[in-house]
Amino acid sequence: MAARRALKAVLVDLNGTLHIEDAAVPGAQEALKRLRATSVMVRFVTNTTKESKKDLLERLKKLEFEISEDEIFTSLTAARNLIEQKQVRPMLLVDDRALPEFTGVQTQDPNAVVIGLAPEHFHYQLLNQAFRLLLDGAPLIAIHKARYYKRKDGLALGPGPFVTALEYATDTKAMVVGKPEKTFFLEALRDADCAPEEAIMIGDDCRDDVDGAQNIGMLGILVKTGKYKAADEEKINPPPYLTCESFPHAVDHILQHLL
Amino acid sequence: MAEWAERLTGVRGVLLDISGVLCDSSASGATTIAGSVEAVARLKRSPLKVRFCTNESQKSLRELVGVLQQLGFDISEEEVTAPAPATCQILKERGLRPHLLIHEGVRSEFDDIDTSNPNCVVIADAGEAFSYQNMNRAFQVLMELENPVLISLGKGRYYKETSGLMLDVGGYMKALEYACGIKAEVVGKPSPEFFKSALQAIGLEAHQAIMIGDDIVGDVGGAQQCGMRALQVRTGKFRPRC
Repeated sequence: MAARRALKAVLVDLNGTLHIEDAAVPGAQEALKRLRATSVMVRFVTNTTKESKKDLLERLKKLEFEISEDEIFTSLTAARNLIEQKQVRPMLLVDDRALPEFTGVQTQDPNAVVIGLAPEHFHYQLLNQAFRLLLDGAPLIAIHKARYYKRKDGLALGPGPFVTALEYATDTKAMVVGKPEKTFFLEALRDADCAPEEAIMIGDDCRDDVDGAQNIGMLGILVKTGKYKAADEEKINPPPYLTCESFPHAVDHILQHLL
Repeated sequence: MAEWAERLTGVRGVLLDISGVLCDSSASGATTIAGSVEAVARLKRSPLKVRFCTNESQKSLRELVGVLQQLGFDISEEEVTAPAPATCQILKERGLRPHLLIHEGVRSEFDDIDTSNPNCVVIADAGEAFSYQNMNRAFQVLMELENPVLISLGKGRYYKETSGLMLDVGGYMKALEYACGIKAEVVGKPSPEFFKSALQAIGLEAHQAIMIGDDIVGDVGGAQQCGMRALQVRTGKFRPRC
């Protein structure tokens, strides 16, 4: 791994880190302001499969976070880039609210399957349709493979398990465009014009946020909010650069030790 | 001909897969694969022992046999090795109380199983019952258990119905394995215990039996790994390149 250089960019996960569904993490708005007072660039990276950038921005503004749309990089953006690159017509198994991110994409007579978190589409009939397309050779693009996420009523299955089901049934591998894929982080850093060694990631998902970022040479801070479960930090190797209570604590650490 | 006689030396019994070999399921029942009824009758008239070895887990054994009898097959429940009865035995032996992720059609197989306060999940070919909510409930049960046990009736990738190929339990089993970071125990083909119990039922050793199936991994591969011979048929889920 290349030697660390001065910190230029901080990537921050959204749901579970800055806020939990419709409530901000206590002190997060303040912490973000403190971070912005420094010279680092801040980017918000999320594996959302159901919210367009406008939706995200709206929620964050309501929670009084100072954020602009071009600071947000989502896995939906990454998926769309891939579809255009491959020139395919996708069957979109994505939440209806994600559809605006695919405006202009041809979906008639599909020859690809794009799958995100879309519980309402994960019923047997539709998955079976997707399965048959894949068996005929259509590529499978997964927006991400999160195992589960935190809802108000407890843990809920993410898209990962359903992607796995289709991979197994068709003996193929999905192309994953979201965290923890390297390309996701590299793309996010690309427009921040910053190398991995100059960046740090803050998130609540040990594998997808921290491990993914550290795999390309970034530092990773695991926060104990959102989907964090006790001893998550022991599940990855190398362990997180830092495990701390929440986003404000992560920011404190950065201000004290890395700038 | 001589070559075949040699390859079949010592065969004293046949294990027959059902779906994809004898018949194809459909939404309303099943359709016979041409010539199968007579072929089974011929086998039974021969000195060979016959055992049906199926991973069917959407219908109860009684219903399955009923459907086959209606199609003219000479078959009875006692001649079938099926995963639900085998699973019930395991559950009782190990004091397991299952949360059932199954199709209603097979529910009766679990009638004398205690399903209160579940300490494991049993997953079968639930078909339409593989809704997100049902999968999520099973996932949540597993995540609450200190020692999560997932028992899967088979792990097939897909099977053939008359309307086309259908996702089987295997993918959904893998989904829960992935979500929870655990490994399922498979009851049914290709698990060796399942083949052994079928062989025991007709009093034969592996080298004396031949399995006939449409699933290259579950039927053919599984049987061969146990020391049986196996025949792959080009009906059912068979696809030329796989």
